[in-house]
Amino acid sequence: MGDQSNSPSSSIDSSSSHPALCSTSSIFQTRRDLLSTDLKLGLGLSTSALHGCSSKEREQLSHWPPIKPLLRSTLEEKVHRSHSKTFFVKVYMEGLPIGRKLDLFSHSGYDSLTRTLRRMFRTTIICPDTSRVPPEKAHVLTYEDKEGDWMMVGDVPWELFLRTVKRLKITRADKC
Amino acid sequence: MTYFPEEVVEHIVDFLGSHRDRNAVSTVCKAWYQVERLSRRNVFVGNCYAIRPERVMARFPWMKSLGVKGKPHFADFNLVPYDWGGFAQPWIEAAARGCPGLEELRLKRMVVTDDDLELLARSFPSFKSLVLVSCEGFSTDGLAAIATYCRGLRELDLQENEVEDHGRQWLSCFPDSCTSLVSLNFACLKGEINTNALERLVARCPDLRSLKLNRAISVESLNRILARAPHLVDLGTGSMMVNHHTEAYHRLINAFLGCKSLRSLSGFWDASSCCLQAVYPVCVNLTALNLSYAPAIQGDDLIKLICLCFKLQKLWVLDCIGDKGLAAVASTCKDLQELRVFPSDIYGAGTTAVTEEGLVAISSGCSKLNSLLYFCYQMTNTALVTVAKNCPHFTRFRLCILDPGKPDPVTDQPLDEGFGAIVRSCKNLRRLSLSGLLTDKVFLYIGMHAEHLEMLSIAFAGDSDKGMVYVLNGCKNLRKLEIRDCPFGDDALLKDVTKYETMRSLWMSSCDVTLGGCRALAAKMPSLNVEIINESDEADEFQENLSDLHKVEKLYVYRTVARGRTDAPDFVWIL
Repeated sequence: MGDQSNSPSSSIDSSSSHPALCSTSSIFQTRRDLLSTDLKLGLGLSTSALHGCSSKEREQLSHWPPIKPLLRSTLEEKVHRSHSKTFFVKVYMEGLPIGRKLDLFSHSGYDSLTRTLRRMFRTTIICPDTSRVPPEKAHVLTYEDKEGDWMMVGDVPWELFLRTVKRLKITRADKC
Repeated sequence: MTYFPEEVVEHIVDFLGSHRDRNAVSTVCKAWYQVERLSRRNVFVGNCYAIRPERVMARFPWMKSLGVKGKPHFADFNLVPYDWGGFAQPWIEAAARGCPGLEELRLKRMVVTDDDLELLARSFPSFKSLVLVSCEGFSTDGLAAIATYCRGLRELDLQENEVEDHGRQWLSCFPDSCTSLVSLNFACLKGEINTNALERLVARCPDLRSLKLNRAISVESLNRILARAPHLVDLGTGSMMVNHHTEAYHRLINAFLGCKSLRSLSGFWDASSCCLQAVYPVCVNLTALNLSYAPAIQGDDLIKLICLCFKLQKLWVLDCIGDKGLAAVASTCKDLQELRVFPSDIYGAGTTAVTEEGLVAISSGCSKLNSLLYFCYQMTNTALVTVAKNCPHFTRFRLCILDPGKPDPVTDQPLDEGFGAIVRSCKNLRRLSLSGLLTDKVFLYIGMHAEHLEMLSIAFAGDSDKGMVYVLNGCKNLRKLEIRDCPFGDDALLKDVTKYETMRSLWMSSCDVTLGGCRALAAKMPSLNVEIINESDEADEFQENLSDLHKVEKLYVYRTVARGRTDAPDFVWIL
């Protein structure tokens, strides 16, 4: 019919021909199926399954489930964390003008971090819970936090450290 | 009629609190209208575009408390474009001119700017309470103005707002002379906070009863705060990231041991199971608990916590609690009135830890339950029928089956009968949200039985226009109807146009209504604003050039005594 050639802005483009999506007659059934597929494919959406939709329709379909933005971002963060991601920070050693970069996400905790740094900078790094008196040549690991303060690495839980650290500095132990 | 002295009427009217009663009184006669309007202290405007602010201020010059709502509810789920409207500015300006005695302002889903907040702070010498819910458009600079200029501020409650972070100095703007705070909630702020200033503020406000921190506040800081404010009744923690064997953790335990008045707990960002034990001492007295921001806490640890909370009346959790956890809630929390179970895995494989079994367990154990929001992947008619029988006191029932249009997995039938049982049994039902596979029949049931229903939310449901008509014809007390992705078109929209004058608003998106239908509605009913929100590429087209057959993306209809509005953006057409 001539009337129906007026492409409706709110419903799925009737020319979308992906077989899995157009198996039922009602446009609303199609939309429901699309949303189900959307949910099942997860974050890494396969573009082929949804090529029939405009980007606006995709965005519309993603306004589901009906949860508020604060909850949505908290849950999405949990998902992003589990995908491998990197977090590179600068590391300077006192006395050396050229710094290095280090991916904190590739370390599981403080032990792993200090091992890598010892290898990178070829020095002994003392952790805060070491009770013996540091020798003259040893270094201490410090970091700059979001508030701009320089703090000793190791006092707070690793995950909290990851959220507040901006960069690292290896300073001489006798300065602390 | 015998002469009835005005003083007597005044005295009687003073006892009336509810808006409905006062509205009724004001329509009796001119004299009563006058008495009522001069004595009304609390004014609530459910739709900011239903009336011009100046008229409200002129009618109620002695108002002390004003509440205004802006965007439609579906704005919470990003269905309303960012610059649609709902500006607080005209309301604050009008109040500053007409009601300088204003003490409390509550705004929901509105656009509030820093300038608005500064005007607010400077215009009302007796201002005591600001509550902003789901608002946006302001930054921490606006909060600084509030802190600086509102002498005697008792409440600053920011719930789920989008606030731009311009630094942490705003909290330091509370002067040393500010000792009146009773409630402070900045949980939605994303930025760092000046913790020293916060601790000093808490220390000098002896009446502080409700404090909700944001995620930037560490456990160490929480410990210091609780040490200074052990009389808190309502606490929202900051980040609960802490290790078992640290000084901080031990101090946390002691801090909670000292909080004898604590009745409500929320926050718990980054909380893992090990920090929950610190909270055990307060569980026995808790009446409200919100764990919906703690996805890392596993079911078993949640159960251990819940089993101590036998006075709980309100519980918000993630579905990680599982059916087993809900069974524990059912056997422990006999006073439970409100339950919300949120989804934790929105991109997942199509299963949640909660199913219809959990809901049935809750309904058999918690007979006082009257408010429910439940996200799950499946529901059966049998379960809903059982729930309806066990809990006839529901006033709010919202079920969201995450897979849209999913039938009863056991019988493959639509969920019409299940929801039908709910509306038949729950005679006081005021709010209902539907989901799952639903035909027109469910709407027939709703129209027949849901006499007191005021708000109905529908998504991916129904077969034809008949569905919507059943609801519009049947639900005499319907105030808000919001529909998305349903096959309802012009016939349904135009069946009974005068109905919309009895309602606050109607929202329809991704349905079958056309521009022609909307034009017809606007022509017949000048007392309504018929708004079309059209964001597609064709938005460049003028409305006049589009044919009547053009399908409307988003329709928002509301009754108003203020014809049209001057602040609508390009993509909003008011017919």
